[in-house]
Amino acid sequence: MDSQLLLSGFIFGLSMASVYFLMSIGLSLCFGLMRIISLDQLLYYAVGAYLTYTVSTASGNVWLGVLAGVAISGTLALLVERFVFRRIYERELTFSMITSFGILIGGVGVIKAIWGVVPRPVRMPTSDLINVLGTEVPLYRLLVVAIAGLVYLGIWVFLNKTIIGKAIRAGIEDVEHVEGLGINVSRLFTITFVIAGAMSGLAGGLHAPLIMVDPNMGLEVLAFVFMVVIIGGLGSIKGTLISSLIVGQVVSIGSLIYAPLAMMAPFAIMLLILLVKPTGLYGSTMVKK
Amino acid sequence: MVNAIKWWWGILLAFGLLAAGRLFLPLPFINEVLIFSIYTIGCSFLLGRVGFISFGQPAYLAFGAYGTAFYLFYFGTNPYLAILAGVACGFIGACIVGPLFVRLRSDYFALVNLALAVIVFYMMQKVLAEYTKGDNGLWFLTNIASTPILNIGKSSDFFIFATLVAIGVWALYKYLDDTLFGACCLATKINEAKFQFLGYSNFKVRLIAFVIANTTTALAGSLYAVYLGSVSPEVTAAARTADPVVVTILGGVGTLFGPLVGTIAYTALRDVLSKFIGNWELFVGFILVFIMLAGEKGLWGSAAPWLERLFSRGKSADSKAEGQR
Amino acid sequence: MSESSLMVSNLNVAYGESKVLFDVSFEVAPKQIVCCVGRNGAGKTTLLKSVAGFLKPLSGEVTAGGDNLLGRRPYDVARMGIKYVPQDKKVFSDLTVRENLELGSYATKDYNWDTVFEFFPKLKILLDRKAGFLSGGERQMLMIGRATLGKPRVMLIDEPTEGLAPSIVTHLKQVFGELSKSAALVIVEQNLPLVCSIAHKVYAMRDGRIAAELQGGALKPVDCEPYL
Repeated sequence: MDSQLLLSGFIFGLSMASVYFLMSIGLSLCFGLMRIISLDQLLYYAVGAYLTYTVSTASGNVWLGVLAGVAISGTLALLVERFVFRRIYERELTFSMITSFGILIGGVGVIKAIWGVVPRPVRMPTSDLINVLGTEVPLYRLLVVAIAGLVYLGIWVFLNKTIIGKAIRAGIEDVEHVEGLGINVSRLFTITFVIAGAMSGLAGGLHAPLIMVDPNMGLEVLAFVFMVVIIGGLGSIKGTLISSLIVGQVVSIGSLIYAPLAMMAPFAIMLLILLVKPTGLYGSTMVKK
Repeated sequence: MVNAIKWWWGILLAFGLLAAGRLFLPLPFINEVLIFSIYTIGCSFLLGRVGFISFGQPAYLAFGAYGTAFYLFYFGTNPYLAILAGVACGFIGACIVGPLFVRLRSDYFALVNLALAVIVFYMMQKVLAEYTKGDNGLWFLTNIASTPILNIGKSSDFFIFATLVAIGVWALYKYLDDTLFGACCLATKINEAKFQFLGYSNFKVRLIAFVIANTTTALAGSLYAVYLGSVSPEVTAAARTADPVVVTILGGVGTLFGPLVGTIAYTALRDVLSKFIGNWELFVGFILVFIMLAGEKGLWGSAAPWLERLFSRGKSADSKAEGQR
Repeated sequence: MSESSLMVSNLNVAYGESKVLFDVSFEVAPKQIVCCVGRNGAGKTTLLKSVAGFLKPLSGEVTAGGDNLLGRRPYDVARMGIKYVPQDKKVFSDLTVRENLELGSYATKDYNWDTVFEFFPKLKILLDRKAGFLSGGERQMLMIGRATLGKPRVMLIDEPTEGLAPSIVTHLKQVFGELSKSAALVIVEQNLPLVCSIAHKVYAMRDGRIAAELQGGALKPVDCEPYL
């Protein structure tokens, strides 16, 4: 195969991995700390994308749009946490799954009401091509990867160097114990949930120029995000990073070889991994509540 | 004889009422309700009795629908055989993925099923487009041969057939509930470890329940295929995964008639709302959230205990009402 | 009449449908060491957890120095100076000893670790080790040391000497003696000799009820046994 094609496929895979990673981190953290499955993260992704569309078409600046997307998604997440999730933390997993699913489809309905069902295009902030090792590669995709990389660093610093981050890591191990020390875990939950929502919004905002923004975009990317999360194992940041890289490349290079493979390969990998390790690569065997 | 009546009267009453509805409700509505409620009861059983929610029921619906469609499009014209073919496809499909899926934790289970539904959609739409005609779908209405006694190609006869099938399905699930198997399902849901210590296999029970539930779903798919006369990938679209979940919760999880009540409410709501509002889906989502926050009992789940008390007040010796929480 | 550090009256607790504590009442005076003994399943851990706020009782009263504890979140209870040290020597294994202590300081706003190191000098050496690599005794020292931050008025300690070497048990005995100069201690224990040597008061529990209240001082293990 042509090495130029391979390289641009690789970059494409990295940019897909970046989007998946940003979304999966939120899901993983929410599960690890709060033991909930937050399917509504897919809604914040769509909201981020739509806000990016609206603000960028109005102001002409796509980055401003992305910022708006992140801000609104985070705010929305804050409201949802306050009014819905706070009541249901004690319940079993399926409960949060069903409830968050309701929020997701309800939210998609609202999006349809506000913006309509017609897909919208979002202008790329830069259409420049950059020469990497002899291949012309879209600068924007490289920027997406760079931003995701920065976010990963930021999360790492937050979790390992700040006291709240350490409290969250401790909470992922044993939240009751953290509470017993005298730490307000409700606030930890809120902070984590808002971070997750903001990152999902960022994923949507960054992804928007690469695809058409449409109301069902959250549902369309749902399967991939969850394949990433399941392969990596819910609750593990490292696992999420690795599996998003894997799935990103499989989707990208797979579609170069044989298009339908792009869809099926991650699924096959997921099934194989689950056969051997039913909790994913780095997942924890959580005792079912 | 008395025991038989006692056992059957609920089911017969429910479907009797529905059949009576034929007099003043549109036929398509009733047919849709019948098929959809069969679709839902599998999902409800899985969630209520085994404790697993699946976001991928459209996959099994598609197994049944496409199985039937292939038969009618390529092989024969007998709709009964076609339905059998569809059910067989569903059964085989469930047996293949079942052993892997039921070993997973509840959240992985839900999402793996979702991934399956997406894969099946993609396969039907693109990969196997040569056989499935992709988005255009398979059309075989004219292929359906007339059958003696009931010509299920015709809507009005189909209605009778579907009602009989539904009664059969409900009888099956009521029977399951009453047997040791039903108790086993509940046991694996409530306390896995204890069930294992008693010497039972969580895996076997879950697998059997999974296969039964999804074969039922495939049956619904087969019925859809015969009823509509065509099948397209739409039937398994990602957006449609919500339907059985919402109906299950709306009706009341794990109750015998929850799926029926939920289906009637949901279909009615959809038909009425979509006339006035383009995206009634947002109501569906928020209704789901509301029900979950308000106690997750659903329509029938809330009504049933109340009705039970109403009837047992007549029986003087019955202290059922007191024993409840 | 000085206010009791901790007073529990007629506490009834259930896990779902099964009741585990029946009308439990006990009282702890300031700077007193009270021990709770009983077989496995008698309800000792449930009792501590209910006082700390992790379980919602069906009925009863729990007050500390006049402040009501019932209905409060566990972190609230901890902030009021009632610290719960659970059994199983669970520390945050992914964090270092230093970070474990930092969390304790963050919660109590007490950044002075001098007393902690006075009680457990070994912790100073282990500061940068990941808590997951500590031995059982070291973990217990970390848990108790961390709980002393913020100068609690009551410490609820669940089976601290379980599985520990005798030398460490002796060390802990000393620590408890020192601690009780400023705080009331409620210690759940199976180690009867230890209990008899440090307790001012002993409650024996059986099947979810207080079977006996015994005065410390000249107590011997045989005296407790009939009530277990």
